[in-house]
Amino acid sequence: MNTPDKTKQRKLLAVFAHPDDETFICGGTLAKYGSAGVEMTLVSATRGEMGRRMGNPPYLNRETMPAAREQELRQACEILGISRLQFFDIRDKTVEFHDAAELEARIGAIIDELQPDVVLTFHETLGGHPDHCAIGKATKAAYMRSGLEGGLYYISFGSTMAKPERSGYTRQDIVKIDVSKHKRTKLDAFRAHRCQTEIDEWVWLPDHEAMSYFGDYEYFIVGDGRAPRRSPVDLF
Amino acid sequence: MIPIDKISAERALQAFVGSDAYIHSEATSFTFVRNFKVNVTHAFLAGDGPYRAALRFDGHGWLRTEALTHYEQDGNGRLLLAGFDDRGRMNVAFHLGKEPFPE
Repeated sequence: MNTPDKTKQRKLLAVFAHPDDETFICGGTLAKYGSAGVEMTLVSATRGEMGRRMGNPPYLNRETMPAAREQELRQACEILGISRLQFFDIRDKTVEFHDAAELEARIGAIIDELQPDVVLTFHETLGGHPDHCAIGKATKAAYMRSGLEGGLYYISFGSTMAKPERSGYTRQDIVKIDVSKHKRTKLDAFRAHRCQTEIDEWVWLPDHEAMSYFGDYEYFIVGDGRAPRRSPVDLF
Repeated sequence: MIPIDKISAERALQAFVGSDAYIHSEATSFTFVRNFKVNVTHAFLAGDGPYRAALRFDGHGWLRTEALTHYEQDGNGRLLLAGFDDRGRMNVAFHLGKEPFPE
């Protein structure tokens, strides 16, 4: 079992599919660990360039979207404290058709280089979008072969994992992170993803009202069954 | 993107007649095709808004897109047509270019 070494730089790697996954799903947790000095790296498989939302009123088109969303993600990373960002340059909506072995090898190389204490990705069946499930499956496979143990977690939507039994999990499989002090940072990151959030009026309400839409907790599913859960309230 | 001006959008579409064009076409929530190359023989823009666009190509082909609302002629000689709903979400796209679109 890993015992956290206080003198060592803690590292987190998040491997997601689209710009905004990091903010919309687990932005509070990233803000929390960012403010605690954790070194955070984000991989985004795509630039989200096939999305439907193009601002409201629309100010983007299919061809201007990749650069705009990359820029929005860079800003969100700065807000959340993510110091490294890497794209895999896979076209949005096609991750599941990408060569799985190659994808796994690319993620494996990043894990080898970084040696992260924590790896976040999507659950391979509960991910909610084919790109999510595909990147989650490849990340899981890469992690299991990496030689690291006990630091893989799947992100989850809203408070669905407050009742894990409904998805076939128990409370022992869940880590519940208190993000109540990090809602302002999460809101700032939401607003950085402007073309995706302009349609959601609540995001643009006065800060305190908008922040009331966020839950106090974000939930993570323990992804590496080979090791016991490190903590019920902390990923490290 | 700006709301379609029928006369100038139709003129831009007609400019592809008689030449090869690369097409990006999508029904956003359902399907997309990127970079199929056709020889355009006829081009049409119909309706009073939203608009319908159609191409005849290669002597035997049709491409028809409806619900178009906005367009743009970008700096690379490309004509971008799209259909948005009243909250800025894209429903359809229909792009023509002389060169392949970025993969």
